[in-house]
Amino acid sequence: MLESWHLLAEGLVAASQPSVLAAIMVGAIIGLFIGALPGLGPTAGVAILLPVAVSFDGTAAIAALGAVYYGAQYGGAVTAILLGIPGDASATMTVIDGHKLARNGKAGAALGLSIAASFIGGLIGLILLTAFATTIAQAAIAFGPIEMTALMIFSLSLVSVLGGRDLNKAMMSLFAGLFIGTIGLDPMVGLPRFDFGEVRLFDGIEFSIIAVGLFGLAEMYATPPSIGKPQEKNRFRFRELLPDVRGTLQCWRELGSGSLIGFFIGILPGAGATAATMISYAFAKRTSKHPERFGNGAMEGVAAPEAANNSAAYGNMIPMFALGIPGSGTTAVLMGGLLMIGLQPGPMLFQTQSEFVWTIFGSFYIGNLALVAITIVLTPVLATCAFVRPSYLFPAVIAIIVFGIFGINNAMFEVALVIGFGVLGYLMMKLDYPPVPLVLGMILGPILERGIRRTLVASDGNVAVFFQSPIALVIILITVVLLVSPWLLKNRAGKEHQMDEPQAKKIG
Amino acid sequence: MDTHETPRGMKRRTLLGCSAAFVAAQSLAIGTARANAYPSDTINYIVAFGVGGGSDIVARTMAKVIDEKKLIPVKMLVENRPGGSGAVGYSYISSRKGNPYYLGGVGVSFFTTPLLGKMPLSYKDFTPLAAIARSPYILAVLADSKIKSIDDLKSAKGLTIGSAGAVSDPALLSHLLNKQLGSSIKVVPYDGEGEVMAAVLGKHLDLLFGNPNEILEQVNAGKMRALAVTSAERMGSLPQVPSFEELGHDIVHTQLRGIIMPKDVPAEAVSYWEGVMKTVAESPEWRSQYVDRFNEIPLFLDSKQFGEEIVATSQRYETLMRELGLIK
Repeated sequence: MLESWHLLAEGLVAASQPSVLAAIMVGAIIGLFIGALPGLGPTAGVAILLPVAVSFDGTAAIAALGAVYYGAQYGGAVTAILLGIPGDASATMTVIDGHKLARNGKAGAALGLSIAASFIGGLIGLILLTAFATTIAQAAIAFGPIEMTALMIFSLSLVSVLGGRDLNKAMMSLFAGLFIGTIGLDPMVGLPRFDFGEVRLFDGIEFSIIAVGLFGLAEMYATPPSIGKPQEKNRFRFRELLPDVRGTLQCWRELGSGSLIGFFIGILPGAGATAATMISYAFAKRTSKHPERFGNGAMEGVAAPEAANNSAAYGNMIPMFALGIPGSGTTAVLMGGLLMIGLQPGPMLFQTQSEFVWTIFGSFYIGNLALVAITIVLTPVLATCAFVRPSYLFPAVIAIIVFGIFGINNAMFEVALVIGFGVLGYLMMKLDYPPVPLVLGMILGPILERGIRRTLVASDGNVAVFFQSPIALVIILITVVLLVSPWLLKNRAGKEHQMDEPQAKKIG
Repeated sequence: MDTHETPRGMKRRTLLGCSAAFVAAQSLAIGTARANAYPSDTINYIVAFGVGGGSDIVARTMAKVIDEKKLIPVKMLVENRPGGSGAVGYSYISSRKGNPYYLGGVGVSFFTTPLLGKMPLSYKDFTPLAAIARSPYILAVLADSKIKSIDDLKSAKGLTIGSAGAVSDPALLSHLLNKQLGSSIKVVPYDGEGEVMAAVLGKHLDLLFGNPNEILEQVNAGKMRALAVTSAERMGSLPQVPSFEELGHDIVHTQLRGIIMPKDVPAEAVSYWEGVMKTVAESPEWRSQYVDRFNEIPLFLDSKQFGEEIVATSQRYETLMRELGLIK
């Protein structure tokens, strides 16, 4: 481990050469903008820059592509907080409390917190990446279909805290999400499901389309025209545009848990940063002393998912660097970049290309510091967006959304979809169906389905195998305890009051 | 044909200058006395998948070699049109019927997506140009696995093998393997080759058919053992690993890195690109930047040979998909 830090020091020096520094800055700024642009996320960002980047020298190319990846994690939160539109998929959970904070006049505080959370999450992820990359990679592959199934059951049980007031409506919303997650080619059989004869639905519906429609467009549709009137012109004090240091420090618990959960989920092949933000948000709410504040502008509700998505980005890179396995769409494109510059990621990379790997890791540290500097400077300027009148702001935002969504596949089909999901979101809002369970179902459902079906194909339909894996067994037990404990506690409290007699009889 | 590949600088400029006028009369101009006028406009190479994937790397490396060697007098633009498991990109190419300024690469879904009956196209809607490399698959297990040879597969029970997607080359090969050996290895589909590799390394799967590059990396690191290759002969980079054929099993299936055009393009355009692709395939640049780097097998097939391979491959997939019940 000590050797790791020595190698990292050399990597930091190598990453400080002007050509690499320039690449980091270019990548970070592009990432920031791509992340902030609704619809386009880090995968698109890395893909857009890839053909250009491979013409740089190898190290600079990968430093730039990596910077796009983590830069996008910073950028996604900006749009989420200020406009209530997830800038990229993994910023969806940030919308819930972040946008409430901005509307309550705390845009600066929320932005500052998201930057701090991004930095801390990134730093913790990076330190873990530096210290344990190869060891952790070995642990990650212990998670196969059985373990993933257990983990998803656990995640969905946490989700029960995210439903909102009406449990039935929350479940309806969750099932709608699970259904949407099944659209496209069946992952096990290869036949199209629910494609309505439309070939463009073969690969399923891009998550960001749904997130942008349900959260962003729906809210704009629902904004009453009166808010745009001049007499309600928002006044703000300069203080409100500045980060809130004390409020940020008070979220230390969520920053820590978010970073660790994000990193852990990020390492698992096929899970991804978005799932990580959902689990860390649910965990923060479940363990909070004031869960009722979540959803109404809680600082903790921004800290947990923002720390998680940055940390997950580095967790995600571990299987790629250490094993040659891309665990997500973004790392798959990044790995394409490594192949194009002539490197084969995998177990040999740390030995044969040690200098390259450590320079790249060094560049990640530098890039994170640079992003904090850039975003802190921009915060007061960006925060003023929250005070622009909707009649000016919305047309511009809708134009940006259309542009971003069109950019996913260069097709109007996705634009029509996002408008449709905006209408769905509006109806759900008016009828008081919470949108969060829907996005959860859509992200976690496909992982759960694949886990169950892969396990059953391999075991010839034998369900017992789910309880033969020690890891899965532990996760399932924790889930059961978490689900049953509140009910047990409530029941015992009830019994002590009224049921003394029958209990005594039974014992007697 | 050599004269097409090395037009003089003067002519190039003149042609570029009046390319606008040519666009309207393209199909007329070609095939007449002015065959040497082709190509006079930018060539669009459509990749039906995202940036950074296998098809994309083939396309961009090929375009780079063509550019470095100045094999064509015009620019070649590589454009990604992903979506619908290749349906979006392939439909786009085929809609440019008769237009010799559109090229595309062939992947597995070039065959399987049309066979699913969801795309009103098939390989018959394209013109085969050439194939410029061949990628075999290697059957591998973890280094500490009990399976030491292909014969061990016959007696083993409850083995599983990974596949990226339900219909893929590894799935096809696994079914051939079961037929040949009388084994009952179960195919478990994952979402990508990386996930399959992770599942094998994590002992959630027993076997995989991987491409040479990813398997060699694991073999060299001492993590995996290669059992057999699906090319007719042994591979130069794995001389100790036998081919299925020499072991007496009729399993020969490789992925061709092939290039197609829309239907009904002029014969001159086809022979022009055959010439360009032959030069690419035989160049040291292509060997070092693609074939050797990704441990593939050097190859050149002309339009006719490649066309025959396409028909044979499509039939192989059709048989597989019928057996899997995907088509009736």
